[in-house]
Amino acid sequence: MFSMKCMTEPPTRQESRTQFNEDWAATVIGLVLLVLVIVGVIPPGLIP
Amino acid sequence: MTETRPQSQAETRSPVLYVVLGVVVVLVLGAATRFLEKNVPAWFEGDVAKAIEYPVYAIVLGLIGNAVLTATGWRERLEGGFRTEFFIKTGLVLLGASINLKVIVTAAGPAIIQGILLITSVFLFTWWLAGRLGLDDKLRALLSAAVSICGVSAAIAAAGAVQARKEQLAYTASLVIAFALPSIFLVPWLASVFGLTDEVAGAWIGGNIDTTAAVTAAGALVSEDALAVASIVKVTQNALIGIVVIALTAWFAFRVERTPGAKAPGVGEFWTRFPKFVLGFVAASVIATWYLGTVSSAEGKEVIAVANDLRVWFLILAFVSIGLEFKVGSLREAGWRPVAVFASAAVLNLVLALGLALLLFSGFTVT
Repeated sequence: MFSMKCMTEPPTRQESRTQFNEDWAATVIGLVLLVLVIVGVIPPGLIP
Repeated sequence: MTETRPQSQAETRSPVLYVVLGVVVVLVLGAATRFLEKNVPAWFEGDVAKAIEYPVYAIVLGLIGNAVLTATGWRERLEGGFRTEFFIKTGLVLLGASINLKVIVTAAGPAIIQGILLITSVFLFTWWLAGRLGLDDKLRALLSAAVSICGVSAAIAAAGAVQARKEQLAYTASLVIAFALPSIFLVPWLASVFGLTDEVAGAWIGGNIDTTAAVTAAGALVSEDALAVASIVKVTQNALIGIVVIALTAWFAFRVERTPGAKAPGVGEFWTRFPKFVLGFVAASVIATWYLGTVSSAEGKEVIAVANDLRVWFLILAFVSIGLEFKVGSLREAGWRPVAVFASAAVLNLVLALGLALLLFSGFTVT
């Protein structure tokens, strides 16, 4: 049974932390890119 | 031979280099996706070539890349660069820029009702069925969270709450992707067969398909309006993760493991578990809605089109990563019971989500 062979592995706190750091990274990078587009640093035609 | 070196040693030696190489693989396959999307309709005459959208090329190229890297022994070394969650969340923040704030506010009510009803019923059904089939309580929690909320993200959050084992998380994530991949094509096709409006199709896709990246791929296959509604519904479900995780933490501390002196989780735990990209999605809509009110319509459209191009790039990178990350190995080890539980819950989710989408989104319009 699946649960029987999992007894020796460490729990998953680390994945949980990484996951939520990615949340902030995605939020900041997405908003920064949007602002760069709006102020004209990334102009129309630049993105292939 | 480097191919036979254990994964842990390889990662210890130069993890950053492998992550960078993994990202380069994703970028190359993403560029190939963009190339095929633009050129295949010119190479082949007929409607079929024109009808194939970028999610199809991206996922197929990702799966081919997966097969090649697995055969050559490179896949596990490079998988640190296959950041599906990061790519999809950045893409969703940028998607917020193309959705008027009024649409988000109007859709939030039905999306929250749909989310609460779906998550509660599917979670409890999965928990009950998994118990009847004798699964471990932690695996029950992971499967229930994954199938009822938002796939891999929810499974990761639930794994942290109940202290599940790594294999249980890897297995649940594999199940999520194994079911999500066919759903990307099946649900839009069924929506077309049933003659659903774009908005209802989007609400069905957002409510039913588990993982956020797959929801976005299926929504994009239907239309921009379907993508907008599917994203709002899925983002709402993402926002509800925190509540489910608090309930799971309390349940395992007080009822399953009976930890002496365990404290009830509070607001801090909710904030820790809250997916912050939801704030970015809403903030992007606020910024774009304000910006469009200050410039001419033509200028506004041209600028938001650039944000949309960036969004498509991030979504392509996420879809390529889905294909690259897919693993069948751990599915074979767990036996038929978890698969039966997940499949039964997925069918219930499919039917309930369709009913709720018809009930709550029939009169809804994006434009």
